Amino acid sequence: MEYVSPEGLRLDGRRPMEMRQIRAEIGAVSNADGSAVFEMGNTKVIAAVYGPREVQNRSQQINDQALVRCEYSMANFSTGDRMRKPKGDRRSTEISLVIRQTMEACILTHLMPRSQIDIFVQVLQADGGTRSACINAATLALADAGIPMRDIVTSCSAGFLNSTPLLDLNYVEDSAGGPDVTVGILTKLDKVTLLQMDSKLPMDIFENVMQLAIEGCKAIANYIREVMLENTKELEYRRGI
Amino acid sequence: MLSGFNVILSTISFSIETEEAESLKQQVSFTTTTIPTALLFSGIPFEKACQLRVKGEGGLSAATAGTMVGLSLGEKHFIRGGIAQDLRTDGRKRLTYRPISVETGVIPQANGSARVRMGTTDVIASVKAELGKPDLLQSDKGRVIINVDCSPTAAPIFEGRGGEELSTELSVALQRCLLGSKSGTGAGINRSSLMVVEGKLCWDLYIDGLVVSSDGNLLDALGAAIKAALSNTGIPKVHVATAASADEQPEVDISDEEFLQFDTSGIPVIVTLTKVGRHYIVDATSEEESQMSSAISVSVNRNGHICGLTKRGGAGLDPSVILDMISVSKHVSEQLMNKLDSEISAAEADETES
Amino acid sequence: MLQSKSFVRKTKQGKVIKVVREHYLRDDIYCGASICNVCDSSVARLSSSASKILIFDTNVVLNQIDLLENPAIDDVVVLSVVLEEVKNKNLSVYNRMRALCSNSLRKFFVFSNEHHKDTYVKAMVGESPNDRNDRETVESYVKSLGQPELLDLLVQPSSEDVAMEEVEDLRPSKKKIIYSEHKPMSEITLGLHRGIYHQGKLRINRYNPFEAYVGSESIGDEIIIYGRANMNRAFDGDIVAVELLPQDQWHEEKSLSIADDEDEEEEGVHLVPNSADDAPRNKISSSGSTGDPNPAPCRPSGRIVGIIKRNWNSYCGSLDPMPMPASSGGVAHALFVSKDRRIPKIRIQTRQLGNLLDKRIIVTVDSWDCLSRYPSGHYVRTIGEIGDRDTESEVVLIENSIDSRPFSVQVLACLPPLPWSLSTVDLENPNRKDLRHIRVFSVDPPGCKDIDDALHCTALPNGNFEVGVHIADVTNFVHPGTPLDDEASQRGTSVYLVERRIDMLPKPLTEDICSLRSDVERLAFSVIWEMTPEAEIISTRYTKSVIKSCAALSYVEAQARMDDSRLMDPLTTDLRNMNMLAKIMRLRRIERGALTLASAEVKFQIDTETHDPLDIGMYQIREANQMVEEFMLAANVSVAEKILKHFPQCSLLRRHPSPTKEMLEPLLRTAAAIGISLDVSSSKALADSLDRAVGDDPYFNKLIRILATRCMTQAVYFCSGDLSPPEFLHYGLASPLYTHFTSPIRRYADVIVHRLLAAALGISKLPPIFQDRPQLTSIADNLNYRHRNAQMASRASVELHTLIYFRKRPTDTEARIVKIRSNGFIVFVPKYGIEGPVYLTEKGEKGGDWYVDEVQQKVKKMDGSISYSILQTVRIHMEVVEPKPNRPKLQLTLI
Repeated sequence: MEYVSPEGLRLDGRRPMEMRQIRAEIGAVSNADGSAVFEMGNTKVIAAVYGPREVQNRSQQINDQALVRCEYSMANFSTGDRMRKPKGDRRSTEISLVIRQTMEACILTHLMPRSQIDIFVQVLQADGGTRSACINAATLALADAGIPMRDIVTSCSAGFLNSTPLLDLNYVEDSAGGPDVTVGILTKLDKVTLLQMDSKLPMDIFENVMQLAIEGCKAIANYIREVMLENTKELEYRRGI
Repeated sequence: MLSGFNVILSTISFSIETEEAESLKQQVSFTTTTIPTALLFSGIPFEKACQLRVKGEGGLSAATAGTMVGLSLGEKHFIRGGIAQDLRTDGRKRLTYRPISVETGVIPQANGSARVRMGTTDVIASVKAELGKPDLLQSDKGRVIINVDCSPTAAPIFEGRGGEELSTELSVALQRCLLGSKSGTGAGINRSSLMVVEGKLCWDLYIDGLVVSSDGNLLDALGAAIKAALSNTGIPKVHVATAASADEQPEVDISDEEFLQFDTSGIPVIVTLTKVGRHYIVDATSEEESQMSSAISVSVNRNGHICGLTKRGGAGLDPSVILDMISVSKHVSEQLMNKLDSEISAAEADETES
Repeated sequence: MLQSKSFVRKTKQGKVIKVVREHYLRDDIYCGASICNVCDSSVARLSSSASKILIFDTNVVLNQIDLLENPAIDDVVVLSVVLEEVKNKNLSVYNRMRALCSNSLRKFFVFSNEHHKDTYVKAMVGESPNDRNDRETVESYVKSLGQPELLDLLVQPSSEDVAMEEVEDLRPSKKKIIYSEHKPMSEITLGLHRGIYHQGKLRINRYNPFEAYVGSESIGDEIIIYGRANMNRAFDGDIVAVELLPQDQWHEEKSLSIADDEDEEEEGVHLVPNSADDAPRNKISSSGSTGDPNPAPCRPSGRIVGIIKRNWNSYCGSLDPMPMPASSGGVAHALFVSKDRRIPKIRIQTRQLGNLLDKRIIVTVDSWDCLSRYPSGHYVRTIGEIGDRDTESEVVLIENSIDSRPFSVQVLACLPPLPWSLSTVDLENPNRKDLRHIRVFSVDPPGCKDIDDALHCTALPNGNFEVGVHIADVTNFVHPGTPLDDEASQRGTSVYLVERRIDMLPKPLTEDICSLRSDVERLAFSVIWEMTPEAEIISTRYTKSVIKSCAALSYVEAQARMDDSRLMDPLTTDLRNMNMLAKIMRLRRIERGALTLASAEVKFQIDTETHDPLDIGMYQIREANQMVEEFMLAANVSVAEKILKHFPQCSLLRRHPSPTKEMLEPLLRTAAAIGISLDVSSSKALADSLDRAVGDDPYFNKLIRILATRCMTQAVYFCSGDLSPPEFLHYGLASPLYTHFTSPIRRYADVIVHRLLAAALGISKLPPIFQDRPQLTSIADNLNYRHRNAQMASRASVELHTLIYFRKRPTDTEARIVKIRSNGFIVFVPKYGIEGPVYLTEKGEKGGDWYVDEVQQKVKKMDGSISYSILQTVRIHMEVVEPKPNRPKLQLTLI
């Protein structure tokens, strides 16, 4: 299968270093303390943040920092093939954990001891890169909820097919069986908080692919900042400042 | 020294826990004795619900739908008083809906989809069509399966398996309102139109609802979303190769270009009348729902026929009141139907434009 | 820059799934024309002087690809939508097109119209993909040129181009049933019972995998099975149930054997076959084409209806070259091609395609269902890189199922303690004669370490000679029923490859204890004759003995001694006496009708360091070789007589069946074409007529003999109880009885014969195994099988080394035409003992302007200007080429 044509175009018409179209929107769930929708091409996720609030299950309370919890769920209709998965299957549990750990790394949890922050991400459509999209949405939702953070975390994936590093794999490219490197970085601190790869890749190529993913993260970070700035301006405007 | 201190601490916390557990147990037994069947929409008599809430938030979460804001006595009186005076807390009249917005084609992977917002209640419905074999008993009809999920984004209590109860209740209620009896008579959705080859091949429609944000009146919103999604649904045209023998599955060729539009004219809308005090209101918010004594959901089609009916809530209703409520809901449904149809067509026009 | 447009597609996989993919439209795709003033002309491929630009639609590309490959066609813009459609319809055309586009000499430019924002065309309702493509093809490129006035010039004949024939869409709409279903076992049993079906073992022709034979007892003849469809998924060696085809279909062989081009059958260069078993058999049938009005009742043909017992195995080969998958970790579906041509290609799945493509690998078969053309299997292990000498040698061994593992501990435990020396027990054994005082010597090839025969020749006072043949007494060390014996009987024979030898017995026995080296005392089994100077045998004695060889000579040394008239030492005298006797015996044997056949054996000179061949040449046969051979034949015949006399039911003998008429047919046809008549009525007659066939050049006679040799089948071992005495005949040696006695170190048959002889002499008891005739038969079968495999392996090894040798040495040499084909001929290169095809026309073209004269065995050009006839000498060029990566082969071309 030819994933990159000799003319240098991917199946969907992108060039190898190009990301899909991204779109973000703050405040999709009015009941939540913070929420956001994040789209990367056809991948669309909603994140909602509840908290900081009283810890629901006292035994989980941590006395010197906030408890961060996360649940990832996929809508029945999110994939091309409709399947009814039981809640809490291994994949969702793993992604929940990954998102929780990534977000925990940027939340200033020590400022909110004995409290709980819930992050819920809901995948509406999956077309590759759901992990990244979830993290990006969660970042926005946390910011919307006004939760203190060190920095914003963004995530992007990159792969390697037809001997070409590709940024932001879609579902077709993802299922080609090649490596899929997902990176999450703290953009200002320039630190990697999430790094996952499946399949195998020579070391030197891995470096390139990871660098590409990091560039993608930075591009997303710029966009997210813009969206947040826009949102803040709007809030200011509404308050009449 | 230090370890001894720890021990003391833990015993203290333990005693707290046991206390709580006991009180929890009491609550549970309490609720079960009053109204075992309808936990939904908080069918607990007002005073008792108050008692419950005093005892702790934990016990309530299972019994209430949506987010339950702790309401003070004054707030409750305010809500009830407002309804009695036909001026609800958000300024609506008793029979006024919140603004409805419809968006179709939100899930491109589905055959049809729609997102419906009523105020801050936000639901998505999608329709997926799959080829299947019809049931032996109903060989001339396709299947329609309705399933609702409550996303934890809507409320933290839906986390894990927390939303299952409500999801199941909503699914069953929707099935009752839209699909009619088991044999399929009186169904709002024309299942015979899903037949491809009688007894061999039919379309199965999987309707999935997702509650993204909940602020009361989920059933009406989901009903509207399903109606919108179905009108958005295109089912690929199937060409059946002829001359398949009686016991063989026929060979089919599915067209890439031609779609059959689903006939949605017969699909009813669902109107839920919530009775608070002596009056009933439409499109209750979750705060208002917490004050209801009982509710009736009626699905009414364009011809004004009742397609399905559910009564919920614990308090008994006088039959005459029920009839009254039904006639009111029938009246309301006309407005809702028109409103919805115009929203749907606007949304579809929007979609094709973009 | 990015514009997103989702378009909807549906796939079907039983279920209907709606697939949504993004489709980005861009504004940075350039038109590739340097005249364009909108686009970046630095990437332009088309020449600036181009006055016109060609744009093709799918049908043109599909049907006229040959034209497009012509350099006259240039300045072409290929639309990606056209390429995509071509890819779906015909992958090979697509690959050719892609090659054109990437060729920097050609001005072909691929324009990704589907992703250009101005040229993207949304499918119209009710428009078929083909129509849409036509519309796009015409419109899209012109749009992109940014010169809208051109659009007006376009005519849109979309409905008029129906003149183009519909191209068949190769995309399979659903899986076809390729093979018929196997019958259930119960039906087969019933069918066999009623005689509708026939059971037998399937043997596939090594040289034409589309032809197979089933030896059926119920018919008493071989059933021929033509074509893969009739073979119905059976493998070589499977026990199958066959249904006979109606008699009017018994003759369709030819069209099948030639026309079946699915595997691109092709003859490679190989060693000259030594017997009919080695040679392709398919020519047998071509007699029908000479216009015989009533073709001989050909053999029954049939089709396989069921497989009773599978003979699935591991097979050794390599993967069909294919493009790499997109990702290194992705699963690729590859086709495995066995080195053994009888095995069909095998589908395997692998994630390691990159690693395996240039390797020799082993694959086993898992299943073969009737929907798939090829069986599916899985990868077992890698042997090594293709073309590597060690790898290929191992492949040769595996292919011929030769066990080259080191001997097990149990086997080695059976060896006598080392260092071994003659013990007094052996000397005091009354059955063992002390012959240490006799002047015994051995003559072998240079560097031979496993010396299993020695000779002596003493002049007796009465003028007669005492001639002794002393054979290593292997059975003294290899006792029946021991692990050592079992192992040896399994291996059957030692295998001689060019650069190594795989022993039948462990090295201490082979090279030391049993080897009759000079100046050491060794145990032997001796046959001693008293002969008159006229080489008449007066008496024969058989005895176990102790000998001490005084000299281990090489053939060259022995020959030199005999030729050097100054030498008068006793050893040389013995040699001369023996040679004198041997010549008489030889003459007498030829009188009886023994054939002097010729084979083209080659010899390599191997670099001791790299083990690469340094030189290659024909093996030279001297008088000394013939002398030793003669006495070995005599010993074998004597032993055969002895054991058969004592054990008429359970002796192991060797026979060589007389060739049938049809086997000799190609030889006769060739001979007739060059005006020689051969008499094949008996071996004597044949031998005489071969002697008379002397042409104008010295090599002519040898060539005829080589051709005669390959008409014969091979000699085989058999159990005397299985056949009647007239069938014991050894045709080639013209001897009524024959066996193998003289090489027990390297042949297990000889070990058995040693035991028989010892029992016949009353020295030891006959092992119980000889009472069991079926078991003896199966041993004989195994020996034949092993023997044949060993020969195949040796030949393959020589072929391999020939290839390695010519890899660095393209050579011009002389060759003789030995077979005529419709598009060329097969030549034999005497100097290197190889044979291979020379094509007169391009591969794939049938005949062309050449035609074959069957009677005169000539291939002629239509206009009669050039013709080649059989046995003609031609000069050829030999070179190793790699038509496909990692598939080197020796190519012969006419100069």
